Amino acid sequence: MISSPTQLASPSGDATDRGARGPLLVAIGCSIVWLVISGVLSLVSAIQLHSPSFLAACEWLTHGRTKALAETSFVYGWAGGAGIAAVVWILGRLGGNPLRAMNWYGAGSIFWNLAILAGLAGIATGDMTSFSLLQLPRYVQPLMVFASASMGIAGLLAWSGRRRDGTFAAHWYGIAALVLFPWALTAAQISLLWFPLRGVLQSVGAAWYFDAVVFLWIAPLALACAYYLTAKLGGRTLPSYEAAPLSFWILIVTATWSAGRHLIGGPVPAWLPTMAVVGLSMLLYHFTVIALNLRPALSLSGPVGGTLKFGVLAYLLYGVVAFVTSFRGVALRTQFTHFSSASDLLFLYCAASMVLFAALYFLVPQVTGRDWSSAGLTSAHVTGVRLGAALAVVALAWAGISQGGMLLEPKAGFADIAVGVRTPLLLNTAAQLILLGSNLLLLVNFLRSSFTCCQASAEGSAT
Amino acid sequence: MKNGPIFLLGLFVSAVVAWSAMVLGAHAQLGGLTPWFDEAEGLSHPARPTGLAARGQLVYADLGCAACHTQQVRRPDFGSDKARGWGDRQSVARDYIFQERPQLGASRVGPDLANLGARKPQPPSSETLMGLLYAGTERHPAYPFLFENRRIEGEPSLRALKLSGVSAPPSGFEVVPSERAQSLVAYLLNLSSEYDFPEAKPLVRTPANQEAKK
Repeated sequence: MISSPTQLASPSGDATDRGARGPLLVAIGCSIVWLVISGVLSLVSAIQLHSPSFLAACEWLTHGRTKALAETSFVYGWAGGAGIAAVVWILGRLGGNPLRAMNWYGAGSIFWNLAILAGLAGIATGDMTSFSLLQLPRYVQPLMVFASASMGIAGLLAWSGRRRDGTFAAHWYGIAALVLFPWALTAAQISLLWFPLRGVLQSVGAAWYFDAVVFLWIAPLALACAYYLTAKLGGRTLPSYEAAPLSFWILIVTATWSAGRHLIGGPVPAWLPTMAVVGLSMLLYHFTVIALNLRPALSLSGPVGGTLKFGVLAYLLYGVVAFVTSFRGVALRTQFTHFSSASDLLFLYCAASMVLFAALYFLVPQVTGRDWSSAGLTSAHVTGVRLGAALAVVALAWAGISQGGMLLEPKAGFADIAVGVRTPLLLNTAAQLILLGSNLLLLVNFLRSSFTCCQASAEGSAT
Repeated sequence: MKNGPIFLLGLFVSAVVAWSAMVLGAHAQLGGLTPWFDEAEGLSHPARPTGLAARGQLVYADLGCAACHTQQVRRPDFGSDKARGWGDRQSVARDYIFQERPQLGASRVGPDLANLGARKPQPPSSETLMGLLYAGTERHPAYPFLFENRRIEGEPSLRALKLSGVSAPPSGFEVVPSERAQSLVAYLLNLSSEYDFPEAKPLVRTPANQEAKK
């Protein structure tokens, strides 16, 4: 049963995490496994981009499905799983009380990972829905809603049962992410899969859901971690913090109005792409305040500080890129090209995942009670993942821009485009290889540190 | 933002307002679209796809073809879609009202397919599409799992592919497209939005009709 905060012992550092250690470590471990799996799949998908005959005979890994498998396991398995774990832990720490309802969190996280596993099996065998970022088959989606909601209960209780009355930015973003995702997923699956809208309205609903995942789920998860870590590592109050509430509400209110940026020039009402330009220009205020608030993060270093700095800078760059590519003149060249997958990668990998890596490097030692098992593996992973992510984004952006130029030229056939785009796509494959290698180091590092921690607690309880 | 319920209500209202404005707003405009009946031809457009073609769209979605192909032609003055022969007019919402799951797509690694069945001078034949699906090219993946490689018993099947060169089956064997391959090819050849709906004609502001408006 969910016990009220007053009955528990006074929260000392490790008591806060003792009860939460098991479920959190299992959830983080599963999300890192999903990160490695999505790394393998995006490597296969990247190879298939420049040599289509790779694994063509295997029905499960035909290019369309590999791309959907990689995207789903990355966004839901890694970013969702690790993000919710980090936010629940942060909300517990900010609340000052031990985390409650961790049985709900543990059960929710197990069902979350089982639902993703079943969903990926469904995609591989031909049940994908072909909506980007909502590729999971229909029969798995209700379970995802309940699993994510039950994982969020621990965060909500830590927030409502907090000892101090005031709230921080990490609170708002964390609760917004935990609460808005189940709502957005429910609205999307009802309007697209269970009682489908008619014709192109499905594309409008799918574009709205894409931006709901980006701006109402993954971005708040990363921003909650970024605000907490910047305050914690910076050691002083965040500059111009009084602008943070308005920047939060502008993100929540106007972000999903920018869904029309995926449908520029498409068979949808013309006011949708125009609203996207308006929505994204209002979001510039949000990005400016994030730049002001998280300025202390830019002078940090080390595994946690370095990845946090990289993530915050990439998030600001994504704000500018999303705003610029929402103009029709610019979209004429970047739409339908690798540039849009470069900007998605910029947000998902360089911005959100880097902040989640920083959060994990900060919170796992606190949860296990001892440092990461090997500093060498940590620094190798941090360097490799920053290099790989930056290289992948630059390679895909280069491929997108040259592809866009040739697409606009009617005389340039698809054979010339394939030749012109081959080198950057090979670079992208190399970058995916670097990312896969460094994420394997993270998995080894995590398994060793959580194994020694469980062994120690087993001996501790045995004596 | 200390008051929990107000905070959660604010989150909910902003999410619902954005969703309903975008999705229900567009639904109010396009939800009630009916087919266009042309008295001269005595036909209504767009034509409902045949059962085989409608099933072919689900095969197209299952294989994730939208990862490399789009099905939306842009306005002639916005991009090179018309110059590339992908369509003389912009795709409009009415083109998709009979499609169970429209595949607009977001990436043009391959050409746009919205008017594949109406390519000028003539559309690709089903044999060429079957050959492309079976053997692939160095720019297009092969889908051999959509075909059955079997021994010829008695008469070779009528639907057997006429293959030559390296992709030809050994003697005594034939390559026969499965039902999924046939429905996919039927769907691809059914893709055409030729009819000029009134909303698809670009609004050309000539000085004459500006005068008329005054």
